Amino acid sequence: MNLGNFGNILLLVCLSASLIQSLYLLPKKIDINYKIFSRIPFFFSLFAFILLIYIFVDSNFNYQLVVNNSHSEKPLIYKIAGAWGNHEGSLLLWILVLTIFNFIFSYSKIKNLDFKKNVISFQSFIIFGFTLFLFFTSNPFIQSESIVNEGLGLNPVLQDLLLAIHPPILYIGYVGYSLVLSFAVGGMLSNKVDKEWAGWLHPWVLTAWIFLTLGIGLGSFWAYYELGWGGYWFWDPVENASLMPWLAGTALFHCVIILEKKNILQSWTILLSILTFSLSLIGTFLVRSGILNSVHTFASDPTRGLFILIFLAIILVISFTLYAFKGPLLDNKSEINLVSKESSILANNWLLLSTLFVVFLGTLYPLGTDLFLQKSISVGPNYYILSLLPITVLLLFIMIIGPNAKWQNDKITEIIFSISKLFILSLAIIFGFSIYFIELQLTQITLLTLSLTLILVSIKNGLRIKNSYTIIKPSLGKSLAHIGFGLLILSVVGNATFAQEKIFQAKVNDILILDNHKFKFKSVEQTKGKNYNSIKAIFYLMDNKTILETFKPEIRVYSNPPTVTSETSIVRKFLADIYVVMNIPENSDFVNVRIHIKPLMSFIWFSIILMTLGGVSAIVFRVRLKR
Amino acid sequence: MKQLKFKHFLPVIITIVLLVFFYQLLNKDVTKLSSQLIEKPVPTFNMSTLLEEDQSFSTSDILKSDVALVNIWASWCIPCRSEHEILMLLSRMEGLDLYGINYKDKNESALNFIKTLGNPFKKIGVDRNGRSSMVWGVYGVPETFIVHKGTVIYKHIGPIHMNELEEIILPILGDIL
Repeated sequence: MNLGNFGNILLLVCLSASLIQSLYLLPKKIDINYKIFSRIPFFFSLFAFILLIYIFVDSNFNYQLVVNNSHSEKPLIYKIAGAWGNHEGSLLLWILVLTIFNFIFSYSKIKNLDFKKNVISFQSFIIFGFTLFLFFTSNPFIQSESIVNEGLGLNPVLQDLLLAIHPPILYIGYVGYSLVLSFAVGGMLSNKVDKEWAGWLHPWVLTAWIFLTLGIGLGSFWAYYELGWGGYWFWDPVENASLMPWLAGTALFHCVIILEKKNILQSWTILLSILTFSLSLIGTFLVRSGILNSVHTFASDPTRGLFILIFLAIILVISFTLYAFKGPLLDNKSEINLVSKESSILANNWLLLSTLFVVFLGTLYPLGTDLFLQKSISVGPNYYILSLLPITVLLLFIMIIGPNAKWQNDKITEIIFSISKLFILSLAIIFGFSIYFIELQLTQITLLTLSLTLILVSIKNGLRIKNSYTIIKPSLGKSLAHIGFGLLILSVVGNATFAQEKIFQAKVNDILILDNHKFKFKSVEQTKGKNYNSIKAIFYLMDNKTILETFKPEIRVYSNPPTVTSETSIVRKFLADIYVVMNIPENSDFVNVRIHIKPLMSFIWFSIILMTLGGVSAIVFRVRLKR
Repeated sequence: MKQLKFKHFLPVIITIVLLVFFYQLLNKDVTKLSSQLIEKPVPTFNMSTLLEEDQSFSTSDILKSDVALVNIWASWCIPCRSEHEILMLLSRMEGLDLYGINYKDKNESALNFIKTLGNPFKKIGVDRNGRSSMVWGVYGVPETFIVHKGTVIYKHIGPIHMNELEEIILPILGDIL
């Protein structure tokens, strides 16, 4: 039997098993052995995925997907990664992740079987929809029409290790929220949305959050070092599409904590659960249908867009309608005091949702004006920066206060007293900095002081020093994540404030000065590479007479095909990255050089690692506490 | 039983409105999507050429033409094949110069493509890894720009179909030629 047909059979089994499982959702509750039917799709989509990797590794050019996306001379690792570096393969990976979550959940020890089956069945329904989509509009196992001996995908820019691991991690995050949606639907169907429900949901929300955070971070890192523009976040629609579920998911996560502790906010938590996965789906729809054009655009096809839209409509309308009828019945009567942990978490929720709204508007508004007014507007970073600035200030403030407030009721004066020392310390540091180094503006001082306070307060909350022993608290995860967020804001603001960039026309032996850095243009070297000629300009970063660093920005002239590429030279230092890029010289003795100084870049990456670690340690502690 | 309230139906109502909006977007010609470059001068770039060994293709070439059409293509791009016929037609128009940018392609395949399907271009630049085309804001192939006296006046994403040629491209060219 040929491999493609075999692959199709695997997909069909996955499709039918998940359909059968989802029949449990019907009013008649067609009950079959959920253990079998929830696990079959996992094994079969796994086999299908392995098969796809196999035909890529084998460079089997009988398949259109391999022809379009691979090449026999590609290094093995990129042949493997090529399997999911395209629309069809990535969709199969997406389905695999959906089934993995269902598979693992089917082993959970939840006693409420009706609830468990509802969750599994709704998840199966999602799997069914995506498999249907894959099978009919984006089948990876389609044979190529003509006979070809070589593939088309030998694209050096896409041969990048980060590009290979960034999508799977992001998908685990995106898709992880599907189970959260299934939890919401299952909870509503079984009338089981309470403390216990929140406790079951907690680790899943956290897992999805960890992967999404890491995935977004990796994407940003890739853009920074590969695109060579010196930026790390471009408010590109696709970046926004991943940021929106992150914001909703962060809000959701905090709500789940309240629900687990205080048994309140049931319907709000349900609403956020639906919203989070909806945003993942909407992001997927906008990107895959080709509506949003971006660096990430896969080949777009109108039928695909329509299919996802129909599926999106079914899932969203079902969930939100269910919410309209069931949601309000779930709530416990409760009152929340103005000064308490729950009120600050709620305030944080609204701030996160406001941020979400800003991003949502910025992404969709241009599409709307284009559609209704035939006018195109562009929404740039300024819009985001100006709108998010006040929200960020408030968010930082709440994050400083909130974790120090007690549940139920607390006195604002006591909280303020407990953080005042650290706040004054931070203010003094930032003021001192402003006086001795560079004069800062009020907004910068505000943001820097608050984020520094947040870092210090979170460190203090995470560690308790007692009799010279440092005790790690179970809330370490929270502290790490909050330190990470504080550090992120601190370094983003610092980066924006102190970044420098200058373009020089330089001759050999010229001294270029940028800020307090002195660069000496030493020489130009010409060398021959494997299939290119290279021109390297050698620059020294000087300190009086000594050479501190050497930069070798390079221009490569490939002969076959004739192409010119420019290779950036980056030196990473603790406090700042220095970037040197050379432009193509045109018949002259001058070289055109661009030098960037990007402060605190390593802190930005570190802050994302901290947030991820925060999530991981929260899970670890949870598991240990349960035992 | 508690009463159903309108506010609880708000999410589903908002969702439906959004879905209708998305449906409209889907039906809209995505090729008409705006570009940041519209009404801006031709970006600065410089690349080697496909057919001549010692020449380069740069901004100055485009500035030499009163009306220029810049097409980003690749031999691996299947829609580009269908579009090529239309470019061949356009190349016969007087007063219009066509320029090509060969995007992320192999030299041999690109030459082969031109040999089999014909060369509508006055000059073809080569951008092997897609970096030089970034200044054009290229997202994928094919993409087409119309430049009038050094200003980008139109960007077309995706292949130009026959009906688009008649309804969009020719009217624009008619106005300026």
